Amino acid sequence: MSAEVANPPMEAVASSNNKKDLATLALVVGLVTLGLAFIGLMQGWRAGDSRPFLGWMIGLSYWLSMGIGMLFLLMILYVFDAGWSIVVRRQLEHAISGLKWIGLIFLPVIALSFFYPENNAVPWVWMDPTNITPHGEPVGGDILHQSKSGFLNVGFFTLRTIFYFAVWIGLAGLLRRCSFSMEKDGDPKWSRLAHNVSAVGIYLCALCATFAAVDWFKSLEYHWFSTMYGVWFFAESMRAGLAGTMIICWILGTRGYLKGIYNRYHSYLLACLMLAFTVFWAYISFSQYFLIYNANIPEETFWYSIREINFDGSKNSWWWVSMALVFAHFLFPFLYLLWYHNKFGLRVIFISVWILVFHGFDIYWNILPGQIPSDENLLGFTVRPFMPHWVDILTMIGVGCICMWSFIISSRKVKSIPIRDPRIIESLNAHE
Amino acid sequence: MSKTFGLIATFGNTHKLYQAAEEICDAGFKHWDVYSPFPVHGLEGAMGLKRSKVPVFTLVGGVIGFISGMLMAWYMGEFDFPLVVGGKPLFSPIFPFPVAYEMTILLASFGTFFGMFITNRLPRHHHPVMDFNKWPGITDDQFLILLEAKDDKFDLEETRQFLESLHSLEVVELKE
Repeated sequence: MSAEVANPPMEAVASSNNKKDLATLALVVGLVTLGLAFIGLMQGWRAGDSRPFLGWMIGLSYWLSMGIGMLFLLMILYVFDAGWSIVVRRQLEHAISGLKWIGLIFLPVIALSFFYPENNAVPWVWMDPTNITPHGEPVGGDILHQSKSGFLNVGFFTLRTIFYFAVWIGLAGLLRRCSFSMEKDGDPKWSRLAHNVSAVGIYLCALCATFAAVDWFKSLEYHWFSTMYGVWFFAESMRAGLAGTMIICWILGTRGYLKGIYNRYHSYLLACLMLAFTVFWAYISFSQYFLIYNANIPEETFWYSIREINFDGSKNSWWWVSMALVFAHFLFPFLYLLWYHNKFGLRVIFISVWILVFHGFDIYWNILPGQIPSDENLLGFTVRPFMPHWVDILTMIGVGCICMWSFIISSRKVKSIPIRDPRIIESLNAHE
Repeated sequence: MSKTFGLIATFGNTHKLYQAAEEICDAGFKHWDVYSPFPVHGLEGAMGLKRSKVPVFTLVGGVIGFISGMLMAWYMGEFDFPLVVGGKPLFSPIFPFPVAYEMTILLASFGTFFGMFITNRLPRHHHPVMDFNKWPGITDDQFLILLEAKDDKFDLEETRQFLESLHSLEVVELKE
C-alpha cells in the first residue's frame, strides 16, 4: 500500500472551480442548439411531418439511454458493495443529475402528443383512431389496436411516461442525496440506505426501462410484438452508460480532478463490464431476430423486413445499418475487448467512442424505420429511409451539452471523490 | 540424491521476499520461483512474469468450437440428412447459431481448462522443493525462493553468495 495513493493530493480532492467557462459554454451551446431543434420540431408540427418529431426522440433517447445505463450501473455497484468502484461512483452520481433535464426536454414531445394526438406529426399512429394503417383501414377499426387500446391509449401513455421519469429522477435524486449527505456527516446509515434504495430501485428501474422502450419505440409499430424488446433497451443502455463512464473517467483521470486517483485497474474492470455487456447486447438482439426468423410468421417478420428490403426485394438503406450493427456494434468491439491490453488508456477510449457512434445507429435503427402509407406499391406503404436529419443532430448535440453542463455544475457542489465512504481506501488502492 | 537441483533461500517477511525477487529478476535468472503462504500483491511484477498464456488456449478453443459447430450443421443439413424445416434453406448461418455458440463456449472452456494444465505442466505429483525440510511451513510462515541449477546463470558458490546478499535468513542447497 503506497502512502502516495492512500492520501490523494489535497488540490485533487478540493472542488474544482476552474471549469466555470466550460459549464457556461456547454449551457449556451445546449440551449441554442435545442432552440434551433425546437424550431425544426414546430415546423414539422405545422406541416404534419413526423420526421422532426422522431429526430427529437432520437437525439433525446441517445442520452436518455446512457443516463439510464449509468443509473443501473450505480445501483448495481451499490448492491454488490463493489469496493473498487467508489471513485467511479461519484462520477456516475454527477452524470445522472442530467436525467431531470432530459425529462424536461422530453416534455414538449409528450405535451404535444397529449393535447393534439390527431396531428400527423405525432409518430405514434395509434394515438388517432382516424389514422389510416398501411392495410387501408383506420386505426380505430383495427382489431389489433382495439385489443391493445386498454393499455395503448393517450391518457395512460402520458401517465406512464410521467411515472417513468418520476422513478428515474427520484432514484437519481435519492442516491445522489445519500452519497452527498454521507460527505457532510460521515454517517454510515447513508451507505446502507443507498444500498437498500438500490436493491428496490433496480426492479423499479428495470420495469420502467422495459415499459418505456415498449411505449416509446415499440409502439411506433403497434402491430409488432417482441418480449425481448425491453431487455434490448436495457442492454443498449448499459453499453452506452459504460462507454460514457469510461470516457468521463478517462478525461478526469488524465486532465481533470481524478489525476492520480483513477488507475489502471478501474479502467480494466469497467472494460470487462463493457465486454460483458457487448456480448449481452448481441445475445439479446440476436435472440429477438432468431426467434422471429425461426417462427417466420408475417405478424412479426415485417418489422425486420422493413429494415432489410424494399418492395421489389432489393436491399434498402436499413440493410447497411443492420450489417453495421452486427459487425461493427458487436463483432469488432467484442474481439477488440477480448485483448487485455485494449482495456486501458487510449485504446479503450477508442472503443468507447466507437461503441457510442454505433449506439447512435442502434437508436436510429429502432426508432426511425416506419411504414408510411403510400400508393406507390401493392403493399400500401414505403419505408422511411435511413438519413440523418438536422433536428436529430441538433437535439443530440443540445441534450449532450445540457448533460455536460449538469455534470460540471454537480461536480462543483461536492468533493470529487467520496472521501468519507467506508470503502474509499479500497477503491483508491484497487489493483489487480 | 547427489545432483544439485538448486538453492533455496528463506526470508523473514514479504518485504524482503519482494525485494529479493526484484533483484533476482534484474540479475537475469530464468528458472526460479517464489513460494509464499499467501498471495503477495505485485509479486508477479517484481518477478518480471509475463501474462498467462491461458487466454490463447481459450481463444483457439472458442474459434475451433464455433467453426466445428457451423461445419457440423452444414454437413448434416446439406449432405448427411437434408431436410427442409419450416421453409428454411438446408444450411444458413442463422439457425444453427445456437449450436455454434454452445460449441464455442464448450471448447473455449475446455481450452481454458487444459490450457491451465499445460501451461502449469500439470499433473505433477512431486517436485524436489518438497524435499526441503521446512517445506511444510510454506502453508504457514515460510517465504522461499528457489533458484534451479539448470539456469544458465547458476553457479553454486556465486549464486549462494548472491542469495546471501539479499537479506535471506539462510541459503540451503537442494539435492535431487
